[in-house]
Amino acid sequence: MDLRLEGITHSYDGLLALDGIDLEVRDGETVAIIGPSGCGKSTLLGIVGGLLKPSAGRVLAIGAPRADSLNPFTYVFQDFALLPWRNVAANVALALEHHGLSRAERRERVAAALALTGLGEFAAALPKQLSGGMRQRVGIARALVVRPAVLLLDEPLSALDAQTRELLMEDLLAIWARERSTRLYVTHNLDEAARLADRVIVLSRRPGRIREIVRIDMPVAERGAPTALPVVAGVREKLWALIRDEARDAEREVQHG
Amino acid sequence: MADAAPVTFRGGGFHPRPQRLVPVAVFVAVIGLWQFASWRGWLPALFLPSPWEIVTALGGMISDGSLGRHVGASLMRIALGWVLGTAAGLAIGLAMGIFSVARAAGLPVVSALFPIPKIALLPLFILWFGIGEPSKVATIGFGVFFPTVIAAYTACDSVPRNLIRMAQSFGLPPAAIVWKILVPGAMPGILAGFRITASIALILVVAAEMIGAQYGIGAFILSAGNLNQIDHLLAGVTLLSLLGLAVSAVLGAVERAVLRWR
Amino acid sequence: MRIRLVAALAALVTFGPALTAGAQEKVSIAALRFVSSAPIFIAMEKGYFKEQGLDVEFKFFDAAQPIAVAVAAGNADLGITGLTGGFYNLAGKGAMKIIASQSREEPGYDFVAYVASKKAYDAGFKDPGKFPGKTIGITQVGSTFHYMLGMLAEKRGFKLTEVTLKPLQSIANVTAALKGEQVDGVLLPANNAYAVEKDGAGKIIGWVHQETPWQLGALFAGTGVIEERRPVVEKFVAAYVKACADYADAFLQRDAAGKRTFGSKADALIPIIQKYVEPKPSAEQVKASASYIDPKGRLLVKNIHEQVAWYQAQGMVARDVDAAKILDLSFVKDHLDVPKR
Ligand SMILES: Nc1ncnc2c1ncn2[C@@H]1O[C@H](COP(=O)(O)OP(=O)(O)OP(=O)(O)O)[C@@H](O)[C@H]1O
Ligand SMILES: [Mg+2]
Repeated sequence: MDLRLEGITHSYDGLLALDGIDLEVRDGETVAIIGPSGCGKSTLLGIVGGLLKPSAGRVLAIGAPRADSLNPFTYVFQDFALLPWRNVAANVALALEHHGLSRAERRERVAAALALTGLGEFAAALPKQLSGGMRQRVGIARALVVRPAVLLLDEPLSALDAQTRELLMEDLLAIWARERSTRLYVTHNLDEAARLADRVIVLSRRPGRIREIVRIDMPVAERGAPTALPVVAGVREKLWALIRDEARDAEREVQHG
Repeated sequence: MADAAPVTFRGGGFHPRPQRLVPVAVFVAVIGLWQFASWRGWLPALFLPSPWEIVTALGGMISDGSLGRHVGASLMRIALGWVLGTAAGLAIGLAMGIFSVARAAGLPVVSALFPIPKIALLPLFILWFGIGEPSKVATIGFGVFFPTVIAAYTACDSVPRNLIRMAQSFGLPPAAIVWKILVPGAMPGILAGFRITASIALILVVAAEMIGAQYGIGAFILSAGNLNQIDHLLAGVTLLSLLGLAVSAVLGAVERAVLRWR
Repeated sequence: MRIRLVAALAALVTFGPALTAGAQEKVSIAALRFVSSAPIFIAMEKGYFKEQGLDVEFKFFDAAQPIAVAVAAGNADLGITGLTGGFYNLAGKGAMKIIASQSREEPGYDFVAYVASKKAYDAGFKDPGKFPGKTIGITQVGSTFHYMLGMLAEKRGFKLTEVTLKPLQSIANVTAALKGEQVDGVLLPANNAYAVEKDGAGKIIGWVHQETPWQLGALFAGTGVIEERRPVVEKFVAAYVKACADYADAFLQRDAAGKRTFGSKADALIPIIQKYVEPKPSAEQVKASASYIDPKGRLLVKNIHEQVAWYQAQGMVARDVDAAKILDLSFVKDHLDVPKR
């Protein structure tokens, strides 16, 4: 399923957050969105997934989503958004409960999603018993269990420490190699963008406009290798050069209220 | 480095640790001192009986079977009033937590009626419901209702909004969002409200039994007061606080079971 | 005549020390602002206390209960009110003693009535024998009304447990419950009973004096006061009894047919009573509320023993309370119905 964003503009009570975003995303592509703090990245993702109504413009889904997708637009949240009173399996099952599946089918799908995210042994654990990385795995499993056509990830690894982030990046790549979907990946971490994305959309500071689209030609599967380090570092440098000044201005703006 | 001196320890303290023996010891010491003072005649027997006399009065109530009658009558009223008040309070409170219109309509009414001491309404309840059980149950029910409403809707507010957004993003229908996200998420606040309303019910049962009650702990305390039977009066008060302890223990167990996830 | 003599004698005996003291002796009495407290009002206004060299202070309360507590706790030297279970429990611990009479239920003198609600009356609750199975409003557990029902049960041969008692705390509540048909019947003082009947809310079906005459109220003094200031108590009783005689002269007269008559003597005393009673009664209300008070302050002694025994049987008064020790019969002569030892 392809996506087309046409003139997406959004303002909160007169505060213009996004201004005329036009973008095409091809089926199966991973698009990272970076930009200074407060430039409207989360707003854009909210609009794409139907949680926010844009002030102007529209999001078009082109082509039917895969037939077995229960929830075509599915989010992975920065703060995991797990129900603390449900155990891991039940948190994942939440996404399936209103789809009229049989109990057995539900259990089977949950088990598969848990296995895919390396949570098999933790099915009965409560969120409070899990580390941050494990919790986000639950968030990812919950997203995968509905077989999304478009995966909307809003800084999914930002709450995690650097090592855990590294591990999860590898896992995400492995999963995406198996599960076909389109990914919109919001991050402020340039490494993540350089490692995971096919294209990187660089937004200007608020109101967010597309400043630059950076295509990374090296296949994602190869970017983890030591020999790929210079390429990845080069992309990183390029992205940093693009947002550095904006980021500084945005930070000053935040500091001065 | 010629002189080697160990670093002085300056941490520790400011960390309350559970002390199992201290409360028991304090309790025993206070009762013992009281008994001793009564025995030595330091306390006026006319106005403050000794602990032993209170225990004897309680024993008398057990042996003549009146204890069960009084406790049973009070528990019946408390249970009925509390359940009715809680059910109505949860319904209204959750509605106010979910629907803006319900909140806009309910909040001023609740804010206006909540601070009225329900004891002051007792004569009114007697006019409306008579001097039988309904007025007593209503007094407790009304007393329980308002704090439950407030506990329920503030508890709804305290449910993290991101969980609701998450549920919406997975396409959960509104009813499922209420039952699967809002209600369980509001549970800690609601259960904290239960602790308050349980004490309110205990306080109000005494007031409710002032009018037209033959049996009940409140009626017993009141008639002991009328008869100047201070030992009986204090036995009744002891019963009330034991009941309070029991209720608090039950609620504690419920909290531990329901809120294991915290 | 004899009363005068006694009073004069008492005055003689006690005048000396009062004179040497050079000042009036202070003494306080706890009381209700009821017509039944009339003798102390009369003694005050007619100067009988002053004659005895007493400077009497009234301490008013709004229920019998706190009066007993006040005397037991030493906040008042004497008290005058109805005898309740609460009184006997305090007195039984040695805190105070009954020394003279106040109101009593005496045949021919309406004081407390049995009142049936309109509905219950229409359904046949027309005489005091019909109490079993009824719901009856009383003020409090252990109140005089409670005891009056107990006596009625004994006289009419039913068990008190056959009656459902509703303690309602106040006469106002009792009246309201009757009007609201929430009880089948109540016991009410004459004044309230007449008012209820006038409203049509209830029907007087009998009077307590017709069924069970008894000693309803008494004058009592703190044990310490009796022991340490006996002469003061004697002087107080002398003035009190003198006023009781005046009261009887004015309010307790009956004509040849047995009907109560109120003459000029009553008219003379009514303003005195109106001065103290609250809410201020009309002259008619004073007459309606004028209970029988023994002209010589004598007690129905046996009945006091019976009261204690009844409260004990009900579990409302401690077993170790001894009626004889609650009574000090030395202040008034010729008490009535004194049990033989
Ligand atoms: N609900 C809201 N009401 C009003 N203003 C909002 C709201 N949500 C976001 N904004 C404002 O809109 C702008 C864009 O917000 P958004 O959260 O989309 O930015 P972001 O790029 O995701 O920022 P960050 O990197 O900090 O997550 C910000 O200035 C923010 O303060
Ligand atoms: Mg954001």
